[in-house]
This record gives sequence, C-alpha cells and structure tokens, in this order.
Amino acid sequence: MKKKRHTLAHLLDGRHASVWVSVLAVLLTLLTAGVMLLLMGKNPLIAFRSFLQGCGMLPKANYGGGSGMLSDLSDFLNYMAPMLLASLAFIVGFKAGLFNIGIAGQMLISGFTATVFIGYSKLSALPARILVVVIGILVGGLTGALVGFLKYQFNIHEVVSTIMLNYIISYLTGFFINNHYVDMMTRTSRICSANARLTLTNVMIAGVKCKLPIGILIAVIMAFVVKFIFDKTVFGFELKAVGQNRKCAKYTGVHVGNRIILSMAFSGVLAGLAGVTYYLGYTNTIIPKTLVGMGYDSISVALLGNSSPIGSIFASIIVSIFQQGANYMSSMVNVAKEIASLITGILLLYASCGTYMKMRAHMVIQRDIDREEEEKK
Amino acid sequence: MDEYVVEMRHITKRFPGIVANDDVSISIRKGEVYALLGENGAGKSTLMSMLFGMYEPDKGEIIVNGKPVVFHSSNDAAACNIGMVHQHFKLVDNYTIAENIVLGMEPVKKKFGFLPWVDMREVNKEIQELSQKYHLEVNPTDKIEDVPVSVRQRVEILKMLYRKAEIMIFDEPTAVLTPQEIEYLLEIIDGLRKDGKTVILITHKIEEIKKIADRCAILLRGKLVDILDVKTASVQEMANMMVGREVDFNPYKSPANFGKTILEVDHLTVKNENNFEVVKDVSFSIREGEIFAIAGVSGNGQTEIADAVAGMMKAASGTITLDGKDVTGASIRERAEAGISYIPEDRQGTGVVMDFTLQDNLALREYHKEPFSKKGILSFDKFRSYADELIEKYDIRSGQGRETIVRSMSGGNQQKAIVGREIEEHTPLIIFVQPTRGLDIGAIEMIHKQILKERDRGAAILLISLELDEIMDLADTIGVIYNGQLLQTAPADTMTSHDVGRYMMGVKDA
Repeated sequence: MKKKRHTLAHLLDGRHASVWVSVLAVLLTLLTAGVMLLLMGKNPLIAFRSFLQGCGMLPKANYGGGSGMLSDLSDFLNYMAPMLLASLAFIVGFKAGLFNIGIAGQMLISGFTATVFIGYSKLSALPARILVVVIGILVGGLTGALVGFLKYQFNIHEVVSTIMLNYIISYLTGFFINNHYVDMMTRTSRICSANARLTLTNVMIAGVKCKLPIGILIAVIMAFVVKFIFDKTVFGFELKAVGQNRKCAKYTGVHVGNRIILSMAFSGVLAGLAGVTYYLGYTNTIIPKTLVGMGYDSISVALLGNSSPIGSIFASIIVSIFQQGANYMSSMVNVAKEIASLITGILLLYASCGTYMKMRAHMVIQRDIDREEEEKK
Repeated sequence: MDEYVVEMRHITKRFPGIVANDDVSISIRKGEVYALLGENGAGKSTLMSMLFGMYEPDKGEIIVNGKPVVFHSSNDAAACNIGMVHQHFKLVDNYTIAENIVLGMEPVKKKFGFLPWVDMREVNKEIQELSQKYHLEVNPTDKIEDVPVSVRQRVEILKMLYRKAEIMIFDEPTAVLTPQEIEYLLEIIDGLRKDGKTVILITHKIEEIKKIADRCAILLRGKLVDILDVKTASVQEMANMMVGREVDFNPYKSPANFGKTILEVDHLTVKNENNFEVVKDVSFSIREGEIFAIAGVSGNGQTEIADAVAGMMKAASGTITLDGKDVTGASIRERAEAGISYIPEDRQGTGVVMDFTLQDNLALREYHKEPFSKKGILSFDKFRSYADELIEKYDIRSGQGRETIVRSMSGGNQQKAIVGREIEEHTPLIIFVQPTRGLDIGAIEMIHKQILKERDRGAAILLISLELDEIMDLADTIGVIYNGQLLQTAPADTMTSHDVGRYMMGVKDA
C-alpha cells in the first residue's frame, strides 16, 4: 500500500502531472458516484456498464430492429462533436484571459441562422453543408467579435456581455421561431432539410443504421488547429501574453485591443461550429427560448482537459459518455438520468483540485528524499 | 538559554529546484533589533515566513520562549505573539484604517442581548489612543485607498500592536519609503525596542542595519554566513559577506564623449486618465554617450515622461523626436523598432509575464521577427539558444534555467532578465526607470556597470530614479522634476546632491 501511494505521488509530480491529475479526478468521480449509487441501493458496476453500453462502447443485451452497437457509437460521436468544439471555444477565450460563458448563445444564434437560411432552403447536399459551416463560422465569429469589441471599446466585462447576449439571443430567436418557423405539433422549430444536416442519417454500416457525424471530423481537426496556434505561432504567443499580462503585452508592442477582439472572434467561430453541429447535426430542430446545457458543460470539459486542446478531446469523451449514456443507464438501473449532470459536477470539483493534488504529491516525495538523506547520514 | 525569545535550529526548506534555507540556526534575544541581511533570493523572507507560520520547515525546529513550537498557519504564530509586516501590505483597500486593524478580532458586543455588532466609535477611539502611544499617527476613519504608502505601513505596525505582538518581523520595510519616511520608521523601530519588543528586520540595506540593529545574521544562497555584532562590523565587511566577494562601491566612469542628438523632447505635455496634466511643457534632449537623469520625489511626473517617450502614454501636446524622426504619433512597436528600449518601473506588472518561462520572457522583444519566427511560426530553437546566451551573459539565476517560470524567480533576477533583454537590443536610446529599486548590492553593481557600458558604446540613456545617490553616481546631465515641470537642467558636475535635493523640494533658485 505504501509503495503504491508513492507511485501515485511520483505520477502527480512528474512530467505528465496534469494528465495524471485528470485521470485521478475521473477515478475519484467514479468512486464517489459508485458510493452514491450504492446508497440508492443500485449496483454501481451495472450502472457504469450501462453508461458505456448506451454509448456503443460495450454491447447491449438486445437491440431494436436495424440498430446495433455501431448506431449507439455514432449517436455518441454526434453528441461529442459539438461538446468538443464548445470546449475548444472556451479554451481559446480562456488562454487569452477571457471568460466566454456565452458559448450557449453563440451556438444558438449560429444554429438558428444556418437553419433559417440553409436548413429551410432547397439547396443540394454539398453546397448546403458547406454554407452551413460557413454560416456557423461567420455568425459565431461576429457574435464573439462583438463581445470583444464591447470589452475593448467600452470596457464591458465579457462575462456580463455574454450573459446578456445569451438572453437576447435566446428570446430573439425564440420570437422568430414561435412566429415563423414553429412546428405546430412539436412546438419546436420545423426540422431542417436532410441535405443541410451535418449528420448523415440512415447510413448502413455492417448491417445496422448509423448516423455519421461530419462534425466530429471538424472538431478533432480544430483541436489540432487550436493546439498548433497556441504552441507554435506568433499569434498564439501574443494571445497568451495578452491573457496573462495585458500591460506587459502592450509594453512589448502587441495591439491589445485588436488581440482581444480577434481571440473572442476565434472563440466565437468555434462556438458557432459547435452550434451548427448541434442544431444541424446532433438534432435537426431548435427548442425556442432554450439554451443548451452543453454551453456550460463545455467549461467543465475544458477544465478537466487542463485547458489543453488535446486534453479536451479525452475530457469531452468522458463527459459525453455520462451525458449521452444517461438515458440507457436510467432505463437499466432505474435512476433518474439527471444523475449524469451530477456526475459531471463532481468531476469538475475533483478536476479543479488539481493544483492541490500536485502540491501534496510534491510534499510526499520531498519527505521521502529527506528521509533517505537522513538514513545515509 | 532562556534569554532567547526565538531560536531557530538547523532549519532547512526546499522549493522545487532550490534550497531556500540550508541548515540555518539563529537565536534572538528579547528586546533586540535583529537584522537579517542578504541578497535577493538569499532566503531571508523564507526563513521568517516559517517563523510566522506561513511555511513549515522541512527540517529543524523552532523554539519560542523556550518551548518548541510547530506552526501550521500564521494564526498559530500570532497566538505566540509573533507579528509580521509583509513587503506587500495585506490590507483591504476600501475599509477604514480602524476596520483593517480590528479585522479578524473585532470586539463584538451584543445589542439587545443577542444581536452581535461592533461599536466602531469605540474602536476608532481605541485605535487613536494606540497610535498616539507609539507615535504612529493615523486617522482611524480614513480609508486605506486614500492614504499614502507610509501610512499604510503604520497601519500594518498598528495591526501587530493591536494583536499584542511581542516579536515583530519587518520584511524589507524601507523598500517603498522615501528617505525622510525611512528616518521616521527607524525612529519608530527604536521606540518599539525601548518598549521591550523584539524586532526582526529583513533588509539588504546595510546603512539601515548600521543605524538601528544590534546584531545581524548574514545569509548567502540559503546558507548562514555569519552572525555579527553591528557595532564592531564595518560596512565593507558586511557587504562582502553578503555578496560573497569583494564589492566595488564606486563604479569607474570614463570621461564623457557625446555625439549627435538622439532624443529630442520638445514642449511635452502628458495628461493622465483623469485629464490632469502630470507632465507640463517639458523639453530636454539627450546625445549619444550621455546619461540624462531625471531626479525628483516620487509621483512628480517622471514615470509619465518615460511612458510618453516609449509610447505607453499619449502626448497631449509637444513632440518627441528620435534620431531626427518625429515619433510622437508612432505606436509602441514602431518606436521600439526605431530604436527605443525601455526598462519599466513596475517590473512584475509591466516588464515580464510572470507565468511565462524565462525563455519566453527573454524573447519578448524579438519573437515577432526573424530568426525567432518565420511567417508567423515561432522557432523555439532560437528561443532556447538566445535564452541560454542571455542567462550566461547577464548572470540570471533561477531554479530550472530557461524553463523556470519567472514568478518563481527572485525580484533581482527578474530585473536582470528585463535589463538583459532590453540592453541586448543595443538601441540608440535606452530608458531606465528605477532600475535598481529594491535590489541587492550585487545586482545593483551589475546593472550600473551595464548602464555605463551602454553609455560608452554610444547609447543615449534616460535614467529616472528616486535614489539620489544613483543619479549622482551615473548621470552626465541632471534634470530635476517637480510637479510635472523640469525646474533645472544642468551638467552633473555643476550640481551637488544638496542642490539637486533642494530643487526636488520645489525650490527654484538654489
């Protein structure tokens, strides 16, 4: 036991400490959630297995006609694509010192615009899909740039302006949907055309129906693009400098206002892409006056991934498993599916204890070294 | 043994990559002023932070009033009547002085027998009495944000007295004070000693130790060098021990050799955010090979002149000409490229990005140019080799070399990094604002040598300093600023420090 504790400490103090902190956070979350499920009288192992089964990572006992494990997996990827993009949106702002909590609003406005202009048009598949992506980029980017502009020009804090914009966007799009685009049966917006949708539905793979998300490709590519920009480019270097010390960035000659606007625009572009992959991909309709919880979950994902783009790929897989697998888990062990959000919350709590964990590990190791030195004497 | 109030035995404390204290033992007598002398990063503050319970030692024991103690937090230390005035004050800006002093141990009364409340009127009276008793005059109802630094320091001292501290630790108390305020503080410390308090003074200024301290422990790179009786030790002896080698107090200055005019500031006026004229109609020029020093009491517009020349602040009127080219409207980067280097006053706030590595900070002037980046892509090979070159050349010491996060470096080494980065540009004009403030002798000596070297290379140098000695030592020409105006500009050898001092107080015809 003692030996093991020290292995853990070494992992948490070593070169890949931040990775191990996240792994430990996930394990602790599973432990906590397991105890909770036990207290409810449920078998946690069955619950965890059914989360994975719900996401197509383990086979279910039986499947409905035409569907299989691959269909569940494709559903999972459909959910994960906007989640990853949204968390990247948060990371880009965060690195430049901006707290973009308007991701949900930026997703909604771009998803709405794309639905209205392309989703309801009769364009054929290729131009329609390209235009949906372009609209996502443009609308999201402009909304983000507006927030950056308000901050630079009028010194309005981005948290305030993004919260306000969330409401404005939610009610404005809700008004238009209810008055012009509502489906009288479902009370949501009319569904967008299959041609415009970034998810290919009813694709037969290995004999089962799958929904192939184009968004997951975009998302993974964007993760590497973001990584490249922050690790390797002058632009990313300047964004980080602005994020950590605005005064010093100005002193070295960076045009700070310009960088604030650009970083918010970039964050908005990613949120816009998340929006179109969510509203014209994962779903094909918009619930009026409702912001998706994903806009906020993405913050947990970004923090669990240690604000690193590659880390957030793994983090979004984990959070998506809980969110997407919740339905099947709920039906299997009869626990309300809202437990998924609870687990995400616990995960965030542990993930944010990372610095503390690293510090403790460092102390344990230091004490060992002292003891060894003492023994040598 | 029980004549010692504090004993620290064989204390060792490590931080990642560095041993801050290595087997240090000191014993402090009751009622003495005990000084800890050492360069930045020598481990003085760390040692005292352990006595104040902010860190726990990795090894060794602390004995207070004859009893071994283990402090887990500064509350434990406070319970043993230990108090500390930190270098950076820990006060709530929008609370009054009295509120700050009682914060955490308010005298709570019960209204109607159950509603807890604090009788501020009584507290104010109590603070007033306390402040008069120790000659630490403050107005208890003033808000911290409205009072100057010297008063804030008094509040910190009162906080300790209110908490009945018997052992008082002062961490670099004079770094933020003007010469007159320093005199006053030393008198207060003397008064505390007469009152039977034990004072521990962390400093790197030997003159202060000479004036006030009884004994002095000298630390060098975490190790205890010696403990001296201040009365019998010489200044030179202490300086040598502190730096670990012979110190040269008077840098050799070669005869001046002026060239063409580099910087021409003509009728410059600068307004601050409140539209108040902080610099009024200032004109001066600096030639190649000339050190032009602006002397003045803090807050008279000197830093704004530097900011305006570097482009950090806009000129409301007037022109700034660099090497014959009007740069008044140019951006910060355009000016830097045209040939201005700038060592700013606020090194941690402006000069570096604290959470970047040393390597990234050293590249801040070059990263956007070849060979540091090509077509917007950074070239880290160049970052690394350049950092290693500067670390070697300017003796920048840190725990993990170029990969060190700048926040974890000592203030002196942060400043060496900034000075190195800026000087290495070898621009025609270099602006130094308070280049050696708060630094130890070794670092000051090194920076002064660098300034003189650049002057001899033919750079025009604008030196802004609050240290009169520094100005008298280095300047070729001195301009004295008072209330935003240059009162007098003259060659340095025509003025004595007495003359400069009088102009600094606003006396026009000395």
